[in-house]
Amino acid sequence: MTTLLALEHVSKRFGGLRAVNDVSFSVSDGEVLFIVGPNGAGKTTLFNLITGFLPADEGVIRFAGRPLTWTAPHAVAKLGIGRTFQIVKPLRNLTVLENVMLGAFLHTRDVAEAAARAREVIDFLQMSAVIAKPAAGLPLATLKRLEIARALATKPKLILLDEVVAGLPTTEALALAGLLQRLPEWGVSAVAGVEHVMQVVMKIAHRVIVLDRGALIAEGTPAEVVRRPEVIEAYLGVKYKQVTG
Amino acid sequence: MTQRRAILAAVGFALCLLVPLVVQQDYQLNVLFRIALFSALGMAWNLVGGYAGQLSLGHAAFFGIGAYALPLFHDKLGVPIPLALVLVIVAAVAAAYVIGRVSFRLRGPYFALATIAFAEVLRLSVKNLEVTGGDVGLQVPALFGSISPTRWFYLAAVVLAAAALAATAWIVRSRFGYQLQAVREDEDTARACGIDPARTKLNALIISAAFTALGGALYASQYFFIVPDSVLAIDLSERPAISAMLGGAGTMTGPIVGAILIETALELFKNVFHEAFQLIFGVLLVLVVLFLPEGIVGTLASWWRRKRAS
Repeated sequence: MTTLLALEHVSKRFGGLRAVNDVSFSVSDGEVLFIVGPNGAGKTTLFNLITGFLPADEGVIRFAGRPLTWTAPHAVAKLGIGRTFQIVKPLRNLTVLENVMLGAFLHTRDVAEAAARAREVIDFLQMSAVIAKPAAGLPLATLKRLEIARALATKPKLILLDEVVAGLPTTEALALAGLLQRLPEWGVSAVAGVEHVMQVVMKIAHRVIVLDRGALIAEGTPAEVVRRPEVIEAYLGVKYKQVTG
Repeated sequence: MTQRRAILAAVGFALCLLVPLVVQQDYQLNVLFRIALFSALGMAWNLVGGYAGQLSLGHAAFFGIGAYALPLFHDKLGVPIPLALVLVIVAAVAAAYVIGRVSFRLRGPYFALATIAFAEVLRLSVKNLEVTGGDVGLQVPALFGSISPTRWFYLAAVVLAAAALAATAWIVRSRFGYQLQAVREDEDTARACGIDPARTKLNALIISAAFTALGGALYASQYFFIVPDSVLAIDLSERPAISAMLGGAGTMTGPIVGAILIETALELFKNVFHEAFQLIFGVLLVLVVLFLPEGIVGTLASWWRRKRAS
């Protein structure tokens, strides 16, 4: 398996706070990697570093072997990294179809072609009922799906999912997780997710890394990671016990 | 639907071209000239201020560049008129590039302030430069011959407005139009879709500036003589913006509706309010932003959509 994304000793400081501290990990082709950790662990910052929304202070991030240093967010998207935003950022006055078309426009100038691509993605994410509705006023669960749809429409090789099931009722979360497992059908060769909902992580992750206060403290298969005492105690303990029940 | 609108626009255009057969007084044609001109300017502004959501209050800069470039190229450098008009566009595009590169680094009110500053710096420079005639101003070459020029100025303004409308219609239906709206709605989301917001906004400003400068050249030639305070004044930044916002920023026909209302009102009340129209513009702008954010056309369109949906 070839490495698609590699982080080498990446650090980011905000003033005196080390938001990301000497983090190294990689994502291979075909892999589903989830990043877990308590709030403020630096998970979203990590995604912002990868996608060029923030510059790293130290370290190198490589995508398909190419260093992403000083690559602007729009250029990162063109290289094939799609992302969602944890705090949803819909284009409020545009319809669901138009929102997703904007992702599809990354690969085509043609409006009809972009609309066709967007319709397929919307259909896959089971949002066809709201396709003509403006994004403003849609419930959060739908907007989370819209984030995925827009990212997927850009035909990413790697998709970064930032808490896309957080806040959903368990049945909906698991249903969405089922759809996420089908992302390879759409040409997505690797998935990296940030998630708090452990049922989803356990269900679809191949590998899990654990962040705490900016540092990587554990890595392994979901089953391994949740057995580590420090991980259970510090981050997953109560939640995971509730889950397995 | 699209086809019906295109036919409607073509019929409207033809009717506007026929107006001089009925209206023959210079005074009335002059008012209609200004309505058509400010419709064009409003639509040009709308690309940046409406669709891309960047509140420019410095479009007087492009207007003034167009007004001054025509006499400077033609009279001072001896360039023939058609080529001078091309150079008007070139000058505006170059200015838009410089102004855009600098001011699009700023967002929201800071961007608006930067555009005002650019226009004011330009006005003060032109006031103090010898080549532009300073405060005394410049004579502007006549674009049209001496036989009923007012009619030709009116027709030229209608053609400019039609071109601005056609450009808007084309942009709105293209990828570029969607990208402009994405930038307006959320720059981060636009970036995640592979859109470079700075470049997208700059392209919009360049197209907008080209139309605005042509309008400036037309206006200057119509008035025969220009001074900095007549073609670089801040109210030339405000009028297109207010027309577009009153009619409906980010709607295709909003700027036309706004220009008709604003220019008619200015004409009707010019002897009542004198210089106070500046104050009225300001108050009107605040009222529109507060109570009619979608403008007249935008509000009607929303109402119509809701009515059809229910």
